[in-house]
Amino acid sequence: MLSFALTILLDGISYGMVLFIISVGLTVTMGLMRVINLAHGAFAMIGGYVAGYLTQHGFEFYLALVLATLVSGFLGGLCEMTVIRPLYRKGELAQVLLTIGIVFVVTALITEIFGAFPYRVEFPTYLTQPVDIGFRTYPAYRLFLILVGGLIALILWLLIEGSLYGAKLRAAVDNAGMARAVGMNVNLLFTATFIIGTAFAGLGGAIGSGILSLEPSYALKYVVLFLVVVIVGGEGSFKGSFVAAMALGIIDTTGKYFVAAAAPYLLYGAVFVLLLWRPQGILPPKSLA
Amino acid sequence: MTTLTPKSLPASGLGTMAAGQLSFVGHALPWAIAVVFFFVAGGYLSFGTQVLIWILFALSLDLALGYAGIVTLGQAAFFGLGAYAAGLFAIHASSDPVVGHLVAVGVTALFGFVTGALILHTTGVTFLMLTLAIVSIMFEYANQATKLTGGDDGLQGINVAPLLGVFEFSIFGQTAYVYALVVLFFWFVFSWRVVNSPFGRSLDGIRQKPARMRAIGTPVWRRLLAIYTLSAAMAGSAGALSAHSTSFVGLSVLSLVTSGVVAVILILGGIRRLYGAFVGATIYLLVQDWSAKVSPYFWEFIVGLMLIATVLFLEGGLMDLGRVGRNFLNRIRNRADVK
Amino acid sequence: MKKWLSGVCALGVIAMTGTASAETFKIGLIASYTGAFATWGTQFQNAIEAFQAINGKAVKGPKGESIDVQLVYRDAASAGPDKAKQLAEELVLREKVQMLTGFELSPHAMAMADISTQAKIPVVIMNAATASITRGSPYYVRTSLTLPQWAQVIGTWAAQNGIKKVYTIISDYAPGHDAENYFHKSFKAAGGEIVGADRTSLRETNFAVYMEKALQAKPDAVYMFQPGGSPSISFVKAFSERGLKQAGIKLLGNGEFAELYLPHFSDDVIGTISVNHYTETNARPENKVMRDQLTKQFGEKGVTDIASVAAWDGMNLIYTALREHGASADGLKYIDAMKGKTLASPRGPIMIDPEERDIVQNIYIRRIEKVGGKLTNVDIATVPMVKDPWKIDNPVKK
Repeated sequence: MLSFALTILLDGISYGMVLFIISVGLTVTMGLMRVINLAHGAFAMIGGYVAGYLTQHGFEFYLALVLATLVSGFLGGLCEMTVIRPLYRKGELAQVLLTIGIVFVVTALITEIFGAFPYRVEFPTYLTQPVDIGFRTYPAYRLFLILVGGLIALILWLLIEGSLYGAKLRAAVDNAGMARAVGMNVNLLFTATFIIGTAFAGLGGAIGSGILSLEPSYALKYVVLFLVVVIVGGEGSFKGSFVAAMALGIIDTTGKYFVAAAAPYLLYGAVFVLLLWRPQGILPPKSLA
Repeated sequence: MTTLTPKSLPASGLGTMAAGQLSFVGHALPWAIAVVFFFVAGGYLSFGTQVLIWILFALSLDLALGYAGIVTLGQAAFFGLGAYAAGLFAIHASSDPVVGHLVAVGVTALFGFVTGALILHTTGVTFLMLTLAIVSIMFEYANQATKLTGGDDGLQGINVAPLLGVFEFSIFGQTAYVYALVVLFFWFVFSWRVVNSPFGRSLDGIRQKPARMRAIGTPVWRRLLAIYTLSAAMAGSAGALSAHSTSFVGLSVLSLVTSGVVAVILILGGIRRLYGAFVGATIYLLVQDWSAKVSPYFWEFIVGLMLIATVLFLEGGLMDLGRVGRNFLNRIRNRADVK
Repeated sequence: MKKWLSGVCALGVIAMTGTASAETFKIGLIASYTGAFATWGTQFQNAIEAFQAINGKAVKGPKGESIDVQLVYRDAASAGPDKAKQLAEELVLREKVQMLTGFELSPHAMAMADISTQAKIPVVIMNAATASITRGSPYYVRTSLTLPQWAQVIGTWAAQNGIKKVYTIISDYAPGHDAENYFHKSFKAAGGEIVGADRTSLRETNFAVYMEKALQAKPDAVYMFQPGGSPSISFVKAFSERGLKQAGIKLLGNGEFAELYLPHFSDDVIGTISVNHYTETNARPENKVMRDQLTKQFGEKGVTDIASVAAWDGMNLIYTALREHGASADGLKYIDAMKGKTLASPRGPIMIDPEERDIVQNIYIRRIEKVGGKLTNVDIATVPMVKDPWKIDNPVKK
């Protein structure tokens, strides 16, 4: 019984880690810049396809991951400086539509280049097999996800809580006007944050492709999931999105296990109830709480 | 249609023509085109019916999103509910299209009222996510409840009796077209009166400064609920038209894509001017029909670029092209004068 | 001026001789060339072009007249059936087509019922596999399959081949329900036991939980039904990752493992057993003719699948009907000509059921093996001339 509960927990956490790695960038940018960015999934998809292309063409797996992360971050930065920046002054509607526009363009380009079929990232063999973890055998891939996700969470936590960049970031999330008034270069901060956010999305898209599989419709299909993590966790709340991602992963997994018939409603039902109860999310940053 | 100048803008640059005359021509033009189309369309009549239905659907969104500033991605919930209600009513109760239509409108209005009452106190992304959640749950339900809805196979066996007992719905589509046109005209006149009433003006205020409106005693939440319910009823009406004219309801009426497309249509055409829906739906469906024949993924690419360009350069949608063009010409002329 | 006139005259002459020497018969094909089902349109069209390259673009009618068979292709764009219906109306009213064909999706095919009856247009369905469809209109003929044909055969086969307990995991939509229903029924009837059944949401790609449940139920096999593409690929991945394969549990599937999709799977898929009515690598001469022609015309993109074979046989049926009745017969005449026809198809022998206008065909059980370094379906059993089980269970009410 214990081993069974542990299995469900591992399944839930590993799934939650993928959601966390991809969504964490979105949470920070949405909290910081107040931009509804529906194109976030597109950057995750780009990272996935880059890693897929490289691994299929003989590149070493980890090198491919690094390159995928860099490409996503680079394109993200480019995007922020050209089309996202004018959005800061516009309303939600403009933000939703423009970022959907980006999704369409990226989806069309990916289909044109890679075709409509699903696309595969070649993982090293040791990640595609079950390993013995004492009480049972368990997919190595999922353990890998938990490891990487945990590492990223730790690094980000240190960065946000302990560095000057983090202090600035928290200040700007809480009150951008005040941050600007005390002489911070908020524009630069925005661009840097966007680059970091999309880079993580790219990494998540690549290593998470074993669960959220790559295909041209990826960007539109999963973006709702990423938004859910951000909104439920509370926009701009790093801890909130970690908690929300884990919670969603575990709820989804246990839900499917025990009430499979209700599985499709589970996610949206949970979101619906949660948001009616706490419209600002579970752990909103101070300025919003 | 782009020459049409909406009432809210000054009728500048058109010289001697009086504003009244101009607005009469402006109003008559789209309807005249719609009537003429009936006689010249031939095999394209059912395409015309689709355009009319999408116009009505986009019009419903214009009320909520354009006038009241309710940013929703769940409009397909009402369109789909209206379509299923009309279809199911035709199968299980009565095949009379008018009764079925009224029932569908009533059901969606009620649904809009209830969901609106639940979620309208939230704003921004939270509201957006709630509308997404509602439409997704409905989609999943319609997909699972194969006994009721036919699921992925769609709702089969809708039998529609002749309209008013006389006009049959045939493959030539005349009845469906006229029926859709009349319904659209009714809703348009209704919306026109609503947005130009004191109630409509107060929505303007709510959109721009809800806190201030609340401060001067406007019942903001109630006003929003009223317009949301009206918008739902109209979308349901469009859904019912779709079910009756094709005697079929597919799952896609409840998909997120449907919600997205209707927003795209409205934005392309121009929000907050009612006729934006006309321009948007016509151009969107025409370009889609044409470009899908040219190259597969071209269409998606073009729509994406159009969206980005509209947001960045053309805030009023395609209906703004005339004004933007005039401004541009004026600027060039001024520059020439300076030289 | 003179040049212009003579040009017009020449055109006139061409037009006149054109009508005098040959009649034309127009067929409208509606299928998706874009969107989620984009492969179908191209697969249909390629096979039809290949068929016409071998059998000619003209047929000799009953009076020895030559009939040009012209295809008009339209993209249903993976959109709703209202789109398909609108295209059909345009084809019938503007292009004056006398027959409709294509239709990879059941809702699209079903939406043709009143057009075909009102305009007396025969509809040759080249995929849409929901069993009840052909009852929708007397003008429907189907050359593809029905889902119960697949599910029933593999259910019975499994029970008779040492598989006693099965866990089923199907995608939660109408075709999945059909598959689940007929698999359960036939497997139990042949003495098997269903130890668990799950339905997964339509676009699920995270199957870990379902695999865990299946693993705990200790079945001999898992029966799956998922849409082709990413869901089935993720499914197989989760199946082997979770150790079900190592635990000796067999995987049973359907059309997810067509040759077209196999290159997108990893080697985990080896050993999977699937049911189908067309094994792409079969050695029949008819199959060789079709495959060689497609390769010749389309190179690497000439891979054949159930779409190609249904389009090929559909054209064959249409040509037969035209030979008997010429280019201007009543719609039902063509349908009558197709009823009861037997053909040597690239898939094996087929027959059009004279009462139901639906296909009767061999169903094959195959195992995925690596042949010459390539993942390949290899036949391991054949059930001859299977009639749609749903129609046997639901006879026409008289």
